[in-house]
Amino acid sequence: MDYKDVEILFAEDTIADATLTIRALTKSGLTSKIHHVEDGAEALDFIYGQGIYSMRDIQKNPKLILLDLKMPKVSGIQVLEKIKVDPNFRSIPIVILTSSKEDPDIKQCYALGVNSYIVKPVDSNNFFQSLKELGVYWMILNQAPL
Amino acid sequence: MNSNDELIIANKKIALHFIEKAKLVAEIEAATFKLAFQNREKEERAAELTIANIELAFQNGEKERRAAELIVANQELTFQNREKEERAAELLVANIELAFQNKEKAKKAGELIIANKELAFQNQEKEERAAELLVANIELSFQNKEKEKRAGELLIANKELAFQNQEKEERAAELVIANNELLIQNVEKESRAAELIIVNKELEYLNKELEAFSYSVSHDLRSPIRAISGFTKILEEDYADKFDLEGVKTLQSIIHNSNRMGVLIDDLLSFSKLGRKEMIVSKIDMTALVKSIREELFQHPENRIEFNVKVLPPSKGDESLIRQVWVNLISNAVKFSRNRPKTIIDIGAYEENKFAVYFVKDNGAGFEMTYYDKLFGVFQRLHSQREFEGTGIGLAIVQKIIQRHNGVVWAESKLNDGACFYFSLPIITD
Repeated sequence: MDYKDVEILFAEDTIADATLTIRALTKSGLTSKIHHVEDGAEALDFIYGQGIYSMRDIQKNPKLILLDLKMPKVSGIQVLEKIKVDPNFRSIPIVILTSSKEDPDIKQCYALGVNSYIVKPVDSNNFFQSLKELGVYWMILNQAPL
Repeated sequence: MNSNDELIIANKKIALHFIEKAKLVAEIEAATFKLAFQNREKEERAAELTIANIELAFQNGEKERRAAELIVANQELTFQNREKEERAAELLVANIELAFQNKEKAKKAGELIIANKELAFQNQEKEERAAELLVANIELSFQNKEKEKRAGELLIANKELAFQNQEKEERAAELVIANNELLIQNVEKESRAAELIIVNKELEYLNKELEAFSYSVSHDLRSPIRAISGFTKILEEDYADKFDLEGVKTLQSIIHNSNRMGVLIDDLLSFSKLGRKEMIVSKIDMTALVKSIREELFQHPENRIEFNVKVLPPSKGDESLIRQVWVNLISNAVKFSRNRPKTIIDIGAYEENKFAVYFVKDNGAGFEMTYYDKLFGVFQRLHSQREFEGTGIGLAIVQKIIQRHNGVVWAESKLNDGACFYFSLPIITD
């Protein structure tokens, strides 16, 4: 697998959240090319073509990175920081998905250059609706850099 | 030779020379007479001499005696003389000493003359100074009089002051007593303050812990609830054909309740957030604030709600928080009076003890005052979910916000006869 077709890199350690998020994005028919990783370290390996992703062509980047904030090993904010200061990757849009609007890190995320910051609704109807809109926006409306 | 013998010899010579002898006899007669006279005279003289002789002999004896005395006296004088010689020698020495002293005194006298001149000069100076002092003295005597006059005035003033002083002393004594009382109170307050500081620190620590807990609850509870709601939704969508009507209702109930739990968590969070939100205090135009809330949130096309809003005095506080108070109170008024044919909401204010008291009055369901103590409690409700939905956070938020503004919130109601909610804020003095 060369991962060149991956459109969304999705980092989320909670399986339930990951399952629901992937379902919401794929069910809307916008994309099925989502690569799910379970922590920040794996997300960085993917982007930098390291470790198990050493065969990945780092010239072909995903259209969007979805990051959970609270993850083991390397947190979402650390992944964000590393990518946004790297001239090779900082043009990739990054959206933070978090469980709570109480996260004290929202200001820091914007300061580090996050492209969007979304609080996942608890209400399943709202949740699926929000993620569908997110997919429409970033996959269709938003013009990604080539 | 005796003068008588000579006369005999002379007489014999005259007999030899006759003429001569006659003349001579006359002469001799005269001479004899004279001589007899002289003889008598001499006899008398001899007698006198004898007497004188005796006298002289006597005197001689006297003189001898006197001489003896003189010898004695002489010896005495010799002795005295020697004494005097010794004394003289001593005096010589003393004299030399005196001569030396004399010289010294002469020298000293010379010095004294110089000193004298100096003193004379100084004396003159002093005289001049004395003259000046005299002038000054006159001036002083004038001033003295003035001062006496002034002293007289001061004496009167002094008496007045003495009286005032006494008054003040009495007052001071009272103050000392009051002071001691205050001191005691102060000490008590200090120890109380120290206790409060400890309690405060404990509270601060508990508060922080509570915040961390709230954040944790918000973050970590939302995820599984979202999962419950989400997966039930998947069941509902993907497996609808496998459930009968009752099964679908059950799935919807799961979704509904998990969603509700999400709302409760959010409410709890926003409540706990109030305590740590930093207040941005400014002057608030209450009339304008209520108007904007009405226009934004309570525009009912059918005009079922009648708002009677009076002019409200301005206050100061965090506008976003005070806005939340109005929104919660007006929302409640609307919610609890929605079963009335027409909702009537009166909004007004009055002043009381340097506070502006604002109120929101409705004609809704009201509540029983018996349960008043639960009214502002977190998640406390006086109506069932079926009657009026809600989480029971709205009034708790109102109370917390008003307390943060040093105000008070309270309510009056009768069941089924409307309710009136009041809150007070310090009046602006500008």
